[in-house]
Amino acid sequence: MVFRTLFLSLVAFGLALTSIGQVLDDPAEEARAQALMRELRCVACENEPISQSSAAIAEDMRARVRVMVGEGASDAEVRDWFESRYGEFVLFRPKRTGMEGFILWGAPFGLLVIGGLIAFGVARRRKAGADPVVPDDI
Amino acid sequence: MIEIGHLAAFLALAASLTQGVLGLTGARALAGRAAIVAFVVMVLSFATLLVAFAQSDFSLALAANNSHTLKPMIYKLAGVWGNHEGSMALWCLVTLGFGAAGALWMRTGRDVFEARALGVQGWLATGALSYLLFASSPYLRLDPAPLQGAGLNPVLQDVALASHPPMLYLGYVGFSFVFALAAAGLMDGRIDRVWAKEARRWALAAFIPLTIGIALGSYWAYYELGWGGWWFWDPVENASLMPWLIGAALLHSVVVTEKRGSFAAWTALLAVLAFLFSIMGAFLVRSGVLTSVHAFAVDPKRGMLLLGGLVVYGSLALGLFAVRAPKLDGGKPWQMLSREGALATNNVVLVVAALTVLLGTLFPLIAEATGRTISVGEPYFRLTFVPMLAALLAVLPVVQAWTWGKADLSNVWKWAAGGVGLVVVFLLLGVNLWDIPLGAAFGLALALWLIFGALWEVRRRAVTLSRVFRLPLRVWGMTLAHIGLGVFIMGAVVETTQRYEATLALPAGGSGTVAGWNITLKDVHAIEGPNWYADKAVLTARKGGIKAEMAPTKRYYPASRMPTTETAIHKTGAGDLYIALGDRREVDGETRWVFRVYFNPLIDLVYLGVMLIAFGAFLSLVPRRRTA
Repeated sequence: MVFRTLFLSLVAFGLALTSIGQVLDDPAEEARAQALMRELRCVACENEPISQSSAAIAEDMRARVRVMVGEGASDAEVRDWFESRYGEFVLFRPKRTGMEGFILWGAPFGLLVIGGLIAFGVARRRKAGADPVVPDDI
Repeated sequence: MIEIGHLAAFLALAASLTQGVLGLTGARALAGRAAIVAFVVMVLSFATLLVAFAQSDFSLALAANNSHTLKPMIYKLAGVWGNHEGSMALWCLVTLGFGAAGALWMRTGRDVFEARALGVQGWLATGALSYLLFASSPYLRLDPAPLQGAGLNPVLQDVALASHPPMLYLGYVGFSFVFALAAAGLMDGRIDRVWAKEARRWALAAFIPLTIGIALGSYWAYYELGWGGWWFWDPVENASLMPWLIGAALLHSVVVTEKRGSFAAWTALLAVLAFLFSIMGAFLVRSGVLTSVHAFAVDPKRGMLLLGGLVVYGSLALGLFAVRAPKLDGGKPWQMLSREGALATNNVVLVVAALTVLLGTLFPLIAEATGRTISVGEPYFRLTFVPMLAALLAVLPVVQAWTWGKADLSNVWKWAAGGVGLVVVFLLLGVNLWDIPLGAAFGLALALWLIFGALWEVRRRAVTLSRVFRLPLRVWGMTLAHIGLGVFIMGAVVETTQRYEATLALPAGGSGTVAGWNITLKDVHAIEGPNWYADKAVLTARKGGIKAEMAPTKRYYPASRMPTTETAIHKTGAGDLYIALGDRREVDGETRWVFRVYFNPLIDLVYLGVMLIAFGAFLSLVPRRRTA
């Protein structure tokens, strides 16, 4: 029992050591890994990406991202892996699929178009007799 | 003592109700007096809360739950608003303060209109005070009184955060008076130049503290949370950004109404929306419907009451708007390519930006109803919100010289060529020389373009150098605010794309290198403060000939059993070296300390830019010297 505890704590220390300060050698890969860490949600925290959580699970997730990026996985492959493991919830960059994705990503653009059309419409109705006037201050 | 405060709050409620009734019947002088009385008694009431906290009177339940005898005095006082009930008392105080200020300083010469504005403000205050007294009373006693209080949430024990809520509330609640002016103007059927002149002053009076309040909150998050960033697109931050965006739209739209009589209905709508967005922010933050890092007073029942208030005020104001808006005067004619058209574009983009923030903040809730769990975070806002604002700002230097009614387009091609040329140069430099992302190169070009455009506009208006200092203060206000946007963008782009972060695990005497800085850990020792104890690491950071002593600390507050990080920040001309102390780890029998080390380049420009925006708004508020 004592040996088991000792062994487990040694494993834990070893894991802790490998995951702290272990940065990918290639700076470009490390930058890509860090960018991915900023858009994956820590599953045990309140609305935080894994890049900025001190929870143990976030540390494991960060290590996983580094391993995958180090093995040459693409951004999409990393996101897919996390999604299949933890669900869509884990992605801070919501997917564009389905009705929800369409509304979420389409609405800002749609609203801009509608707003622009309204502005043009009003200007068209009101343009008769418009003369240039220099502003007095602003 | 606190019973006097409790009674005073009831008197304030009675005075506000009187103000509401008298105001709507058109009695300007009497409503004004009621507003001043209400404010004075509420000041008294708030003072009793401050005294109870200062004296650590734990027979007051609020003090017992949120204060502690060992806290420094400033945090005892700040403890009053560091919780739900006390912050609602502050909300009421500010609402009444704006009512009293309005009673004293409105200058439209329209008695009935001013009386009605005070009346609406009185009803807003009545609602807020009723909510305070009947649903979240800060005046309740505890018997027996505990010997010691539970303490203020330690992360709030900080100067920036102690002053953040009062600033933010001056902003949020300041829009209540703009709302009241809009409602009164709609009742009057006159949203005209006189109205716009008055409304603009009050909108600025709310916008300035809101801007400063958001910056304080962001600065606090930067150095206290220990994650290096300054904006996290958290629901609580978004809740403050939405009224800010609507307020910014309003400040541009109200000028068109003031100068040309146009956009009257639209300006009134924005004036109403700015306050509705503020209440909605309070609802989102306090009801617990959204998960946030800063979950605050989560109580669904109180949330429902806030939602009820939002629905009642919103439907009354929007109903009034629907009835009266079609009858408002349309003002002078204008074409799309004109100063009006440019400001209309500004308004469309700012309002859609606010709606995008709203959609992104609420969407996880909406999606959950359909059975999908979605998280919306920074990437979403980076791909929607940021490009639309960037596109708007890109045209600003070109259109700011345009005349009202109809623009002279003869110079547009030169400007367009200049802008496109600048972007191309930066994209080439960015890719070939600096090795930065394309978005960052575009952002830097945009920042310089804005600053250059604002200065060019000053030059164009002044014509000769000697006349630069005789330009109206409002022009300087506009110029500084637009330069501030450029400075902000420069800081934000460089900081977010070039931030360097690394983790070090050092034993005492060990060293590591981050971003060219050699960092050596001297030792870590225990220190003690008035109501906390801490581990304090002493580090030396060296780069070239520069040497900096840094001491990141990890505090532990026994009263609330919570740790906080006190980061160490070394400012260089080019950015902050930023170190946060993490956990202690035993590795092979050796003690190592984990440090998160960041280099945040040009971060100061982010705050300098925002302060320039606030200062520009302040210059715009200074009344024009009368030449008589």
